[in-house]
Amino acid sequence: MLSRVADNLYWMSRYVERAESLARLVEVRRDTRLETGFGIQSKKFWSSSLSALYAEEFFQADGRTEADEFILFAENWPNSIRNCIYFARENARMVRDQLSDEIWVELNNTYLFFQSGDAKKTFKQSPSHFSQRIIRFSLVFQGLVDATVHHDEGWRFISLGKYLERADQTSRILDTLSLIGSEPSRTDLIGALRTCSALSAYRKRFRGELSLRNVAEFLLFSQDFPRSMRFAIRRIDSYLHEISGVPSGNFSNEAERLIGSTLATVNFTDIATLMDKGLHQSIDELQTKLIEVGQRIFETYVLLPFEIESVSQKMAEQTQAQQQ
Amino acid sequence: MRPFPFENYLTEGFFDEMFGKGHPHKPLKHYQEVYNRLGRLESGEILEKRSQADSSFLEHGVTFTVYGDEEGTEKIFPFDLIPRIIPHSEWTVIDQGLRQRMLALNLFLHDIYQDAKILSDGIIPTEVIQSSSNFRKEMVGFDIPKDIFIQVCGSDLIRDDSGTYFVLEDNARCPSGASYLLENREIMKKTFPQTFQGMSVRSVEEYPELLLKTLENLSPRQSQKPVCVVLTPGVYNSAYFEHTFLARQMGIEIVEGRDLIAIDEFVYMRTTHGLVQVDVIYRRVDDDFLDPLFFNKDSMLGVPGLMNAYLRGNVALANGIGTGVADDKVTYAYVPEMIKYYLDQEPILSNVPTFLCWREKDRKYVLENLKSLVIKPANESGGYGMMVGSSSSEKERQEFKDRISSNPRDYIAQPIISLSRHPTFCEDGIEGRHVDLRPFILYGKDIEIVPGGLTRVALKKNSLIVNSSQGGGSKDTWVLKN
Repeated sequence: MLSRVADNLYWMSRYVERAESLARLVEVRRDTRLETGFGIQSKKFWSSSLSALYAEEFFQADGRTEADEFILFAENWPNSIRNCIYFARENARMVRDQLSDEIWVELNNTYLFFQSGDAKKTFKQSPSHFSQRIIRFSLVFQGLVDATVHHDEGWRFISLGKYLERADQTSRILDTLSLIGSEPSRTDLIGALRTCSALSAYRKRFRGELSLRNVAEFLLFSQDFPRSMRFAIRRIDSYLHEISGVPSGNFSNEAERLIGSTLATVNFTDIATLMDKGLHQSIDELQTKLIEVGQRIFETYVLLPFEIESVSQKMAEQTQAQQQ
Repeated sequence: MRPFPFENYLTEGFFDEMFGKGHPHKPLKHYQEVYNRLGRLESGEILEKRSQADSSFLEHGVTFTVYGDEEGTEKIFPFDLIPRIIPHSEWTVIDQGLRQRMLALNLFLHDIYQDAKILSDGIIPTEVIQSSSNFRKEMVGFDIPKDIFIQVCGSDLIRDDSGTYFVLEDNARCPSGASYLLENREIMKKTFPQTFQGMSVRSVEEYPELLLKTLENLSPRQSQKPVCVVLTPGVYNSAYFEHTFLARQMGIEIVEGRDLIAIDEFVYMRTTHGLVQVDVIYRRVDDDFLDPLFFNKDSMLGVPGLMNAYLRGNVALANGIGTGVADDKVTYAYVPEMIKYYLDQEPILSNVPTFLCWREKDRKYVLENLKSLVIKPANESGGYGMMVGSSSSEKERQEFKDRISSNPRDYIAQPIISLSRHPTFCEDGIEGRHVDLRPFILYGKDIEIVPGGLTRVALKKNSLIVNSSQGGGSKDTWVLKN
């Protein structure tokens, strides 16, 4: 398939996953605040989340006072939910011929929901309704991707995007726990698990014994929970090999080599070693590796060197004039 | 007693597609059935059907982009539910007229880039051609594939107050609108299935197939299934929806300039598994932007080296390079002469009388009669930069006076034609609105025209401008089988 198309599919999928993850975060944090956060200043309460999202500077510049509103609607922060939906749709527009009508309509409706102002209205009336709307959209979107398009190369790029983003988001949520500064409270731990939709799965596994160590172990190393880092990394590894046709265990490009070594890390490290090293430090290393994997995928399948430049204003102006 | 939706309908002296010059309770024969059907609609039903159609367009992203409009740059192209109907006998004439025109325009382009006989024989003044900003001297002497320059032409037809058809302009560069023609039909079939079925309307759905055949016909590699692509300027272009739509309907790739690369005078597309050679490019990018090494060096939409591959014959372009000289509005004025010169025939479809401002006599007349004329720039499209004299201000007229005097070659003028009107759903019920018609003419092995075309309608009351960028909408166009 066209390299650019692969790239668009990959990013479309990443942005949808990112929107979902942020919607979960906002939902859970608001909830936590209702229960425990009365005394705490809003700014302080949200600061670990904003810092794990690298959004503090944007928040300050934005002028909004409420962090949740900022995460949802900020125009200036490229990762706000509003912008994620916008970028997901922009990418989808460029590859509409690759998507089923159902996928397009679902994504476009969510975009129109933001454009029309209905999103802000819904949020004012019922914030949890709002988050549910976004999460539901993402789940329907994933379902449609699995059920309505060929499971061919394009689909693998979509899946790659989804799992890379998910691994990244899970690592950030874990990181909020390490960024709190003190031993995370019970509410914080439950919050993190809920943000990954992992609370009941966790309970099944650990029978209610709640500790940072167990939560970290679960979110990092669970073999079969679909939002754990290990699960996601294993999927990324297998999709990359399906795309290149090179058997797993070998590698034909840098992306494959790096993901292989990352997979080995999560397969063969135990939680004790990792905690000794420091949770934040270890998560940071994993994140860095995943970012590099993303970069290498891009270089392997999409790039010739001069394509790196992003679409500049100049190009946008020129595209506008070509029509009768 | 007139049926409810037409209770207050007035033709106001215009030629009305549904009622002709007659009374608004007596539709022309070919409209009778639609008239009856509309008469049975309840007011609530109309609104419901309209909003069904609108939300379907919006959801599916059947949109275009408006430039210089801050809020919501994407809009649906407003669609009107009352179809425009063309009887078989009328269409036969239009069809023949368009074929004749398409032949003549192609012979003309071939001629002026080869021997330029029409110039040396004094039929068209040489300076008209050489001063056209769309004349490509790089193409002089180039042996174009199959001798065809224009593969896809969208000619705009209008009718005056007697119902006579005229050609208003020929869009021979990158005409758009075919996707709306197809989408409108889909919506109509869903919204008024019985009426549609009862009328024996000629089908338009084969357009993408015909277009693909037209493209394949140009391929330099006839030994194998040609690789054709649609080249789009990108997602910010107003017709982007159309580009993807057509690519999807034809089952070929839609590419941007950056997806292509020219190596050693061949063009390839970049795929995840390496480079694939491209044979035919249906380009929806203007000449100027196609190749930064050849034309506009700042273009980021094009493919460096594309022109060399093209001039080598290793890749074909549709439309060819340099067709813009044929849709220059000054050249337009000479199409009747071309038809006589090349085909030795009388034009079947007439031109709108045109004053060429570079001719001193014409200019004098134009400057003295600005108020009763439409002034158009010779090389713009999309309804940009024109002035309708009757609804212009003193200030605008002065501006145009200055512009015409300093650049007479760039302006033409035509009498204001009171375009025919068509019943259209408006705020206060059904009212008459001005319409035109853009049929799409394809030239591959043969000339093919899907029956009808895109009927555009000026939704603003009394407006004569039907372009989507200027508040126009569209209608489905039904050509009847007999």
